[in-house]
Amino acid sequence: MKKLFTTLLSAALFLTMAVGCSTGNSSSGTQSSGSDSQTNSQSDSKNDNTSKTLNLAISTGDGSSTDDKVPTPWYNRTMATNLMFRSLFTSDSSLTEVSEDLASGYTVSEDGLVYTITLKENLKWSDGEALDLDDVVYSIQTAQKAARINSIYTAAFANISEMKAEGNVLTLTLSTPYSTMPQVLAQFAVLPEHKLSSVDPLKLDSDPFWVNPVTSGMYTVDTFNTGNYFTLRINENYEGEKPKIESVTTYFVTDFLTAAMAGNTDFLYGNASDLVEQLSSDSNFTAHEVDVLFYKYFIFNMKGVDGTENEAMQNVEVRKSIIEAIDRASLADLYPNAKVLNSGVPNDNEAYNGFDYKFDADKAKADIAASGYDLSRPLRICYYNNDQTSIDLINTVVYYLEQAGLKVEATLSNDGTTDLFTTRNYDIGFKGKSSFSINEWYTEYMSTDALFANIFGGDTAFDSLIADLSASTDKADTNRILGELQGIEQENAYKVPVFTVGTYVFTNNKLSIPESVEFCNPLYNCDVDYEKWEIK
Amino acid sequence: MIKFILKKLLMIIPMLLIISFVVYYGLQMTGIDPINFMVSPETLSANADNIDVLRESLGLNDPLIVQYFRWLGNCLQGDLGYSFDGSSISDIISVRLPYTFELAGYSLILSAVIGIGIGIISAIRQNGIVDYTGRVLAVLGQAVPQFLVGIVLIQIFSIKLGIFPSANRVSPDAKNAFVDGFMHMFLPVLTLTIGMVAVLMRYARNTMLDVLNSDYIKTARSKGIPEWKVYIKHGFRNAMKPVLVILMFRIPMLVGGSVVIESVFSYPGIGMTMTNAITSGDYPVVLITTLIIAATMLICSFMVDVINALLDPRVRLGE
Repeated sequence: MKKLFTTLLSAALFLTMAVGCSTGNSSSGTQSSGSDSQTNSQSDSKNDNTSKTLNLAISTGDGSSTDDKVPTPWYNRTMATNLMFRSLFTSDSSLTEVSEDLASGYTVSEDGLVYTITLKENLKWSDGEALDLDDVVYSIQTAQKAARINSIYTAAFANISEMKAEGNVLTLTLSTPYSTMPQVLAQFAVLPEHKLSSVDPLKLDSDPFWVNPVTSGMYTVDTFNTGNYFTLRINENYEGEKPKIESVTTYFVTDFLTAAMAGNTDFLYGNASDLVEQLSSDSNFTAHEVDVLFYKYFIFNMKGVDGTENEAMQNVEVRKSIIEAIDRASLADLYPNAKVLNSGVPNDNEAYNGFDYKFDADKAKADIAASGYDLSRPLRICYYNNDQTSIDLINTVVYYLEQAGLKVEATLSNDGTTDLFTTRNYDIGFKGKSSFSINEWYTEYMSTDALFANIFGGDTAFDSLIADLSASTDKADTNRILGELQGIEQENAYKVPVFTVGTYVFTNNKLSIPESVEFCNPLYNCDVDYEKWEIK
Repeated sequence: MIKFILKKLLMIIPMLLIISFVVYYGLQMTGIDPINFMVSPETLSANADNIDVLRESLGLNDPLIVQYFRWLGNCLQGDLGYSFDGSSISDIISVRLPYTFELAGYSLILSAVIGIGIGIISAIRQNGIVDYTGRVLAVLGQAVPQFLVGIVLIQIFSIKLGIFPSANRVSPDAKNAFVDGFMHMFLPVLTLTIGMVAVLMRYARNTMLDVLNSDYIKTARSKGIPEWKVYIKHGFRNAMKPVLVILMFRIPMLVGGSVVIESVFSYPGIGMTMTNAITSGDYPVVLITTLIIAATMLICSFMVDVINALLDPRVRLGE
């Protein structure tokens, strides 16, 4: 009896292991766009064409994406969403020049208030439905109410007072001119109204649509496996030049670098020292340096719109002395491609006003003492990036400030912005911001800004200049406004940029990419001649 | 015995209730406003009215105790609620939990076989080569953190040798699901197993040594019973009682320990779900996953009590 029991138990264990190891593909959240047989035959054909598959990775480790759906294109753009969703226009690598995509062109009235956009004809979604202006109007209207969306859209679309669609011509009337409207529309992905019209805009992100989305771009979703990957196949209804790469697999990973080293992604980007160093020296990858406006900056916790203020930071001399105490050039050395700056305008930009926050430890020490700041009080800094470079940077900042006689407490927090005003436990936040344009840096100073009004107390000093900057289409005028804004910015020292960090895009050498291709900020979309990419 | 089992089973209920309240209260006290994670800052200001509606619909305006009992009531009716990104938690759990259990299950089986096996041989051949090697490996296995073992294994077997995948549970281009599953699970299972083997090996060796030095073993030997029979029938059987208890207590540790290992291997189990939920402030998911780990701990503890009572009647008498 005991022997029989032991034999049965052993057999059960073996069977469990065998069944367990073989269940992954057929259950556990695997979903596909077609029938099982269709998906299987496609998978078989992919086996024969593995070399024709582009591998991409989406990181779930930072909380910006989840592994149970395709990331939406309305927050950050990713390579995978760029291949699936199109906009009215497409950008060049500087994100300033736009050309046709879903729209064949546009005109703008002299006063900058009326945009007339012509949609191409006979456009189709991947499910065969017509893509028309109803989709464009729906998308813009929904974006105005959506819960999670990039601020460039919210800021731009807030100026739209009327939308009129006639045939394939859309007329956008603005309440105030918005100079970067075409550039914003070149980023904004149009979504299918026929699939999403009944979805609450506040819950759009979580709709099951994102497991098997209807797309407008070169590819559409083939299979989706929760927690593991999704695959893309060519969208037969895409009217443009078909891509040479037949399929794309996007893996959900927690670490880009490991994914790249293990061959799980052929395209990735980043600015962290370890990633850049490792992949720059890897013969399998080519590094493309991209000059982006990724600001690293300090923000002083001043006061909220409710009047609650942080007394210790009210004296502008204290704020300036703190910046004077930190050698920002040595902080920039921690990153592979960082450039020190003194305002929202980079030092090499013609609009830069020439002001320089000089590092002078002795003067900073004397100034802090003279300002009446209570040196026994700990200066509290919060930061939210937990990579080693950021931790090294914060430790260096703490060292400099302690040399100036300050007691300092640095805390790793969840969020460097909301934590400042939800608790008022911190004096300074250390943040990063990947800006679409210089304008975006300055719009944070608007007294009406949802977040920063709680940090700068709703100061209206910047408002009119920011409005002028948004409306300005003349370069000389823009530079003049930027000059004035820098003056106010440096005078108030509410937020102090430390440096901009360049980003690197890495592509696997198995990819053949046209030499003329220039990559843009990888969080946005630009024309990279993808249809001409090949796998060697 | 039935009374004993029922009593132990009933004690799990208040324990789970207390744990659920403590975790619920603790998560609320972190000051995390889920709306900040669900809604972009600009939308917060531009759609203040809509945000209020959303907050109300999620029940975030209600007093803490009301929110807790509503959540508890729903859970008891099988509705685990929704994550802050709108996904059903039941769906999340039903997809992720089997992944974690298979990881923990294989690690448990492997570590039990290897750990107990080496432990027994080490005791029988005390101060032999297996004993010395086992003792060194046991110290290493316990001293080196699991995540480091995982990273080293990825470096060697995924990146340098390219034998095993570094991430996920399933490949899109798999020709054979069994082989694919084996390849994906090999490294994470090995990582979890290494740590477990070390503990079990030491424990099995020590208890076996104690048993082998006891009087009844000497008696058995003096009766002329073959040595292998002494080891297996008299030694092994008695030595395994405390090892079995340790083994049971390792199950919740395996499930809990997978939080780190799943993140290292991008393995889509309950551990990575929990990590991602913490990162994104999704505390309905954190709450449920924490409770699953707590429930596993309590159930294993219950099973240890039952096994102890079955093996040693004095435990029941003591009760």
